[in-house]
Amino acid sequence: MRISTSQIYDSAMRGMERNQSQLVKSQNQMASGRRMLTPADDPVASARALLVTQAQDANSQYARNQNNASDRLGLVDSQLSALSDVLQGVRSRVVQAGNTVLGDSDRQAIASELEARLDQMLGIANSRGADGNYLFSGYQSGTTPFARSAAAAPGEPSSVAYFGDDGQHLLQVTSSQQMASTVAGSDLFMNIREGNGSFSTAAGGNGSGFANQGSGIVEAGSVVDNQKWQNALNTAFPWQGSSNHSLQIVFSSAAGSSSYQLFDASTPAAPSAPLPPKAVGELVPFVPGQAIPLVTTVPAIDFGAQVVISGQPAAGDTFTIKPSVNKSAFQTIDELIGLLRSPLASGAARTEFSGQLSAHLTNLDQVLLNVSRVQSTVGAHLQELDSLSNNSAALDVQYQQTLSALQDLDYAKAISDFTRQQLGLEAAQKSFVTISGLSLFNYL
Amino acid sequence: MGTGIIGTSVSGLQAAQLGLQTSGHNIANVNTVGFTRQRSVQATNPPLLTGAGFVGQGTHVATIQRMYSRFLTDQVDRTQSTASELDSYYAQINQINNMLADPSTGLSPALQDFFAKVQDVATDPSQLSSRQAMISSAQSLSARYRSLGDQLAEMYGGVNAEIKATVSGINAYAEQIASLNQQIGVAEASTGQPANDLLDTRDQLVAALNTLTKTRTTTNSDGSYNLFIGSGQQLVVGPQAIELTTTPSSADPSRLTVGLRTAAGVQAMPEALLTGGSLGGLLQFRSESLDQASNDLGRNAASLALTYNAQSALGQDLLGQSLLSSPPTSFAPELFSVPAPAVIANTNNPPGSPVVSAAFVEPPPFNGNYYTDLGSSDYQLVSDGSSVTLKRLSDGKQWAGPGVDVAVINAQLANDPQGFALAAGPLVAGSSYRIQPTRNAASNISVNSTVLADPRLITAAGPIATSVGSANSGAAKVSAGSAGPGYPAALATMPISLVYQAGELRNFPVGSQVSIDGGVPVLIGAPSDGVAYKSGATVTLIGSVVSSPPTGFSFAITGLPNNGDTFSILPNVGATGDGRNALALAQLQTQATMSGKAETFQQAYAQLVSTTGSRTHQVQVSADAQTALLEQARASRDSLSGVNLDEEAANLIRYQQAYQASAKALEIGTSLFDTILALGR
Repeated sequence: MRISTSQIYDSAMRGMERNQSQLVKSQNQMASGRRMLTPADDPVASARALLVTQAQDANSQYARNQNNASDRLGLVDSQLSALSDVLQGVRSRVVQAGNTVLGDSDRQAIASELEARLDQMLGIANSRGADGNYLFSGYQSGTTPFARSAAAAPGEPSSVAYFGDDGQHLLQVTSSQQMASTVAGSDLFMNIREGNGSFSTAAGGNGSGFANQGSGIVEAGSVVDNQKWQNALNTAFPWQGSSNHSLQIVFSSAAGSSSYQLFDASTPAAPSAPLPPKAVGELVPFVPGQAIPLVTTVPAIDFGAQVVISGQPAAGDTFTIKPSVNKSAFQTIDELIGLLRSPLASGAARTEFSGQLSAHLTNLDQVLLNVSRVQSTVGAHLQELDSLSNNSAALDVQYQQTLSALQDLDYAKAISDFTRQQLGLEAAQKSFVTISGLSLFNYL
Repeated sequence: MGTGIIGTSVSGLQAAQLGLQTSGHNIANVNTVGFTRQRSVQATNPPLLTGAGFVGQGTHVATIQRMYSRFLTDQVDRTQSTASELDSYYAQINQINNMLADPSTGLSPALQDFFAKVQDVATDPSQLSSRQAMISSAQSLSARYRSLGDQLAEMYGGVNAEIKATVSGINAYAEQIASLNQQIGVAEASTGQPANDLLDTRDQLVAALNTLTKTRTTTNSDGSYNLFIGSGQQLVVGPQAIELTTTPSSADPSRLTVGLRTAAGVQAMPEALLTGGSLGGLLQFRSESLDQASNDLGRNAASLALTYNAQSALGQDLLGQSLLSSPPTSFAPELFSVPAPAVIANTNNPPGSPVVSAAFVEPPPFNGNYYTDLGSSDYQLVSDGSSVTLKRLSDGKQWAGPGVDVAVINAQLANDPQGFALAAGPLVAGSSYRIQPTRNAASNISVNSTVLADPRLITAAGPIATSVGSANSGAAKVSAGSAGPGYPAALATMPISLVYQAGELRNFPVGSQVSIDGGVPVLIGAPSDGVAYKSGATVTLIGSVVSSPPTGFSFAITGLPNNGDTFSILPNVGATGDGRNALALAQLQTQATMSGKAETFQQAYAQLVSTTGSRTHQVQVSADAQTALLEQARASRDSLSGVNLDEEAANLIRYQQAYQASAKALEIGTSLFDTILALGR
């Protein structure tokens, strides 16, 4: 083929330009450490790298959130431990107060101590986090959650009220999981079931204005069959619809031997007039320490629950059984203080005192149970956060590897490419010099 | 003409001289672009008949010939025009490619940073510092959208300017070619010999013209060229050039298009027909890549703004304001604002055509988040007086209905959502409108200045709180609940205190509608009307927005309640530590918020990067291949027409020797003559 002189120069120039641009690109790759300099170099990998980067960033955000959650829950946990200590102290003092050798002044002293403990508890309940927000006020992080409210009526003791809400602050700890990082004060202090959790028992007095005259003390009782209890409470039992549900166990000595009978003592809602208690159970002979099943005959309902009355109730003594309602931890202790402050005049008063103290102790145990329930939830969250944080770290490494495989340069290959391109350019330059030196004019 | 040896020798001398001159011309033009090597063509003079037969009378140069092949030159022009088209396309798209290239300056870091800051607000809703940081990152996100959008918008201006320059280049070349046609005609007619160097100049001009746009050439009998562009429109006819003009497009006056100036006026040329050359590359880049990239980026910005605002409106700010607050309040439901879809009326619309406007539809809720149906195409609305047609320009899909009211189109779009709705008076026959839903969204997104001034207005909290009655004897709990679109209508009277009784939830507000697990709504006629209680089921108090599943205020009660247990729904007062809505906002990042719940923001952006990247790559590869073809075509032409200095050196020697030989013959002839003269002395 015939070659024109300009072809020799043009093709040599083009070859060198090509080699040079490849060299520059290799150099850029090596300088930046990136395989892809623009998306055009590998469109699919560029798009994937963007997605992986977002996943990685989101993952590290979740890791930050996990740390935040961990910090807050750690703080809550330490407050819960302190609270638990205070309550244990209260409990041991209350058990001590039950000792019959103690006089009125001794109980006064214990009451004073309990007041100090109550203040301590209030301090814990109103504690703040590092950012100055209240720990136990729900969403209302700027509101002091617990304070004494004015007494409902003059002369009555004021009680501690909750001014926060039920909200729990959530944090996004993984892409699909949100975790509560706070505990609402209502859950921790306020919504605590009294009695055994299903119902509460109390001495009901003997006639109007008199305490029970016998030595009978009712224990907390228990629900044996929860299904039956729920059923009796919600569908079967005739006190349905009235506001103050209660059953009453009334003792008598009709045939010379002590017997008891179950009554429905619910107070219907106003304006209906109070009705006399309605017998719903049969007269049953009583043996002290015996389990009394809550079973009615008219209508026939099994509550699936039982109470135990120890000691010997006198005729006319009554005991009431009510479905549990919520009693705050503060109220329980307030009531205890009130109980310990009142002097005991008679043997009957002492029996009543023992019964009430035991009921309060049950309530206090409910408070402790509730605190340890919350504590174990918090503990479980903390433990989960630990494993989530390990998981996040592992994921981060994984993302990093993927990202590196997608966009990082293989230096060994890049350097070998570079050397090859360099060789190509040098050869092109050398051969160009040789060819361009060949001219017939040199010999004319 | 002499006779005998002297005349013959002199003709040889002259021919050799012309040969030397031609070689010299070739050598002198070795670096002249477009030069075709020439050679002298020698022929014998007519012989003289004598008794001894025909006696040769020497030589003459018949013509100076161009070593030229019309076919090879055409091949170079054709490949050149495609190569220029690809080069110009590549030069343009590479700008977008580079703009998206850097991972630290693209959109995704700003997007990630913004959502990280939203999460920080969710973590610490009461901290003004985290709110301020979120506002700042919202600003830098919108600035990033704007900067990317502006760069693309500037490219439209750049393309317009280049079209203008290219068209004036085409006109200049066409003028020169027409004038050369005339000169060549005159020169050749007067001499009968080819005007070699003028022909070279004209071919060179045709080649240069082909780098601007693709032309087809025919040759007239007088040797002049006719040039055609597009689908056969005349650009040059013999000595006449027709002028190309640039005019604003009637469909979208911001775009320049190319037209031919004819006696009847300017005739616009369809862009699709103008292929080849840098003009073809520019037009193709604009309609294929630039529109797509701008719309895609705008779609991203608009979707972010719309979905964020929709969720943001359902929250409550640090001042306790929400949609429930009675006006006047400073409640700011929207953080971002984007311009409404652009509707451009055709400049040729008949007088009295109404103004058509378009608006984004509220993003539909889905599974606790929002998504948009916006696509990246433009649309065209056409009325012929008896029917209305909306056409999606990317794939030609049409929505049509009778009449002159756009309501028929809106009704169809309700079932086949495109993310926007139209509004207009009665359309006039023969009018058309171009709708660009997201073209300008990215370059015009901004942050609400009210929120900018007061970060407390960020709606991090939920507007509603729930609580379990403190006297409840059952163990049931109520979830925090979530507000959906139209929720204020469901909660006109608060607090609502629901009561559990006999397996039912009662005491809903009279007149409200309640749905369980998205089922058929139950109308509450009296406080005693109840809905069956199901633990863990989603209870929705239906608001004013019609959707499926129903939305409003939703919550769930789990566990075993007892008769008389109450659950309250109440305003979320003093909730400085509530970050529920911020959490929902943060989740927009990882949920499918775009393309009809198919893509996340980041996925859509990655899609744009990958589309641009592959197109750049593809153009680059094609351009490389075309360059190789062009080199081959040039090599074929040059191997015929190019000057080879060695060859010319040999020719110089050849003609020199021929000259010397002829001179020798002349000398011998002279000496013969001298011998005869000496005889008579």
